[in-house]
Amino acid sequence: MPERVRTDVGGAAAALDYDAELMLRVKEGDGASFGVLLDKHRSSVVHFLYRMVQNHPVAEELAQEVFLRVYRSRSTYEPTAKFTTWLFRIATHLALNSLRDGRNERLQEHLDDDTSDMPVRQISDSRPSVEQFMVYQAKLDEVRRAVATLPEKQRAAVLMHKYDEMEYSQIASVLSCSESAVKSLLFRAYQTLRARLAHMA
Amino acid sequence: MRCPIETRENAELLLAYCSRKLDAASTAILEDHIRICPACREFANGQRAVWEALDAWEATPVSADFDRRLYQRIEKEVSWWDLLMRPFRPLLFRQGLPIAAAAGLLIVAGVLLERPAAVPSASSPVSAQVDVVAPEQAEHALQEMEMMREFNRLVHPDAADSKM
Repeated sequence: MPERVRTDVGGAAAALDYDAELMLRVKEGDGASFGVLLDKHRSSVVHFLYRMVQNHPVAEELAQEVFLRVYRSRSTYEPTAKFTTWLFRIATHLALNSLRDGRNERLQEHLDDDTSDMPVRQISDSRPSVEQFMVYQAKLDEVRRAVATLPEKQRAAVLMHKYDEMEYSQIASVLSCSESAVKSLLFRAYQTLRARLAHMA
Repeated sequence: MRCPIETRENAELLLAYCSRKLDAASTAILEDHIRICPACREFANGQRAVWEALDAWEATPVSADFDRRLYQRIEKEVSWWDLLMRPFRPLLFRQGLPIAAAAGLLIVAGVLLERPAAVPSASSPVSAQVDVVAPEQAEHALQEMEMMREFNRLVHPDAADSKM
């Protein structure tokens, strides 16, 4: 698929990212473009939300709400920012609300007894031994706990920086703060994580 | 080079280096510095450990029915809208009437809805009056009318006769 496509929406659209162009097509009534956007961003949104709330069913429910809001907003959509910035702004907003509403009050219990969320590893020949699996589980548990202890905004900033490879400026747009505030958030977050995870090297 | 660990701004360089986001030239300069600076070495090692630990955290795959559930929810919203618009659809689309006609229809509907609200305000004083008139008052009023008629007959006897 070409990274840029021609569009009749207007001259301004020429400078847009491909996602924004797709969204403008959704605005014009093209349902298939919504499907393309969903295909492209489904995983990153669900995974971001999963790492934020650390509960898979809640993360999927929130992700559904994110895409539903995108669809609902199609008629008023204006490409004033990068599409992913807008998308992650919605996702972050919902995740923070969910955390504050206590929808994840069982988070700690979940972390204590959580094997259902583990990714299923399908490696036939190099399947890890029980010991290796237990070591992996322990390591993973430690990482998740370390991330869970971060303040919400720091957590969101780290996840966007690490897993979605966003630039400081984009994280700043998502979190509605300045770039220097993002740098500060990341600096403090990584400082905490270094203190908790550096021994894993 | 000045030690990056000394200022927060420069520490970003170390973060970028550990995230493998630094360009080749800056990476080379920083690596030279890290070799001779224990504080930066410790920072970089710690950050690298964090990076690798986070790498190990694989997210759970998205459920296979995620899209189906989402489209069902979208469908529900569309159906609700469809229900709302159903009465106007034949006018708007099938018969090709102009939007103005639909707007006119809406105005008529608005007027019809408005009318019952206006009626009580006009009629309420009358009904209120009727309700409060006592039988004695009515009788008194009739007597006064009779008196006026008598008075009229006395003042204008001709007019009263001609009417008879």
